[in-house]
Amino acid sequence: MAEIAQDGGGGRKKGGKVRSKKMSTRIDFTPMVDLGFLLITFFMLTTTLAKPNILALVMPEKDIKLEDVEPVKESKVLTLLLGADDKVYWYEGISDAKLDSTDYAAEGLRSVILNKMDRVKEQFGLQTYKRKNKEGVEEEFNDGSYINVIIKPMKDSRYKNLVDALDEMAICKVRYYVILDVSKLEEQFVKNPAGGLKFNVEEQVEAATN
Amino acid sequence: MPKHKPKRGSPLVDMTAMTDVAFLLLTFFMLTAKMKPTETVVIDTPSSISETKLPDAGTLTIFVDPEGRIFLDMVGNHTRFSLIKEISDAHSLGLSQQDMVTFSNLGMFGVPRNQLGSYIREDIAGRAEFKVEGIPVDTADINKSELADWVHRARLAQFRMKQDGKVTDEYVIVVKADKNTPYPAVQKVINTLTDINVNKFNLITSMEGAEKKE
Repeated sequence: MAEIAQDGGGGRKKGGKVRSKKMSTRIDFTPMVDLGFLLITFFMLTTTLAKPNILALVMPEKDIKLEDVEPVKESKVLTLLLGADDKVYWYEGISDAKLDSTDYAAEGLRSVILNKMDRVKEQFGLQTYKRKNKEGVEEEFNDGSYINVIIKPMKDSRYKNLVDALDEMAICKVRYYVILDVSKLEEQFVKNPAGGLKFNVEEQVEAATN
Repeated sequence: MPKHKPKRGSPLVDMTAMTDVAFLLLTFFMLTAKMKPTETVVIDTPSSISETKLPDAGTLTIFVDPEGRIFLDMVGNHTRFSLIKEISDAHSLGLSQQDMVTFSNLGMFGVPRNQLGSYIREDIAGRAEFKVEGIPVDTADINKSELADWVHRARLAQFRMKQDGKVTDEYVIVVKADKNTPYPAVQKVINTLTDINVNKFNLITSMEGAEKKE
């Protein structure tokens, strides 16, 4: 099949002398190429060329002390409760909180966050916060984000929901967000929105630190 | 007048150029090849807009499959050997030298500590059929949590390797969970990590648009 060696001259000519057969200078490359492509295929299939993307996540320290917590304006806080079946429940602030639900579509959660941002922006402008400047002196900066978002994935949510919510934080450029555990009060609130949220700071801190 | 015969082309094609290209590609793939780690479970990661790539530094990956089972994988044979030696001594698992060598080349694993020995001694086919339960986690008591123990000791082992100059980086902790993993399973992992003071870690995601929107 792969017999392609050319008649490289020589051989018996009509009525001529018997000459020594000259070897062809051509080599049959086919097997080598076969092998080459076989190896290429192997390496192509076993290689992981594309490195996976990563989403960096920084969690708060485990031992939060109540006195170390810096108070945040209630009207800047947006709490997202990630629920079952790709639903997001959300409420603003803590006192007189109204529960509403949305989904992860662009016009869902994102518009909730952007809407909240716009309202806070109008009222307060950019959040100020202290950080060390280039000389190492603590200074007040006001290039922070407008709002503080608390993400609380509930028991029946799935991992994709969390990643989607974190994505929205990146898309909306929310600077301050945190993932906390859901408190019992909030679970009841989701079951019975009409009952209202009787917010209790101690219980929230307990839910967050345990 | 002699009949004009069309010149017959030789049926031979010059293969040199093709061979050149073939071997160039071969060389490229051989040099860039990083073998796909053998994964005992298939994990379909959720998509995100993040475009940060996984760093080249040593990674310690915690896998969480849709059933909530937890698997571990870490790079570096030296670190793994030193880790398994320590684990075996600390919990008197009685692993032989051969077992430890096998473990350092094993890849991803997810069995409770007491089954580790029998898991290692299986051959590849046996491991594929092994009923893996995942690494047990205890979020109530961190000292009982096997995951915490593994991650903590692995980081220490890698740190010692770094001090000896055998590796350049400490472990980057990576969590790879399936998009359908229930959150409580992921929460256990995250809580375990914060319990052992790993507050910065990375979630593996796939590129947005690479998967169909549900």
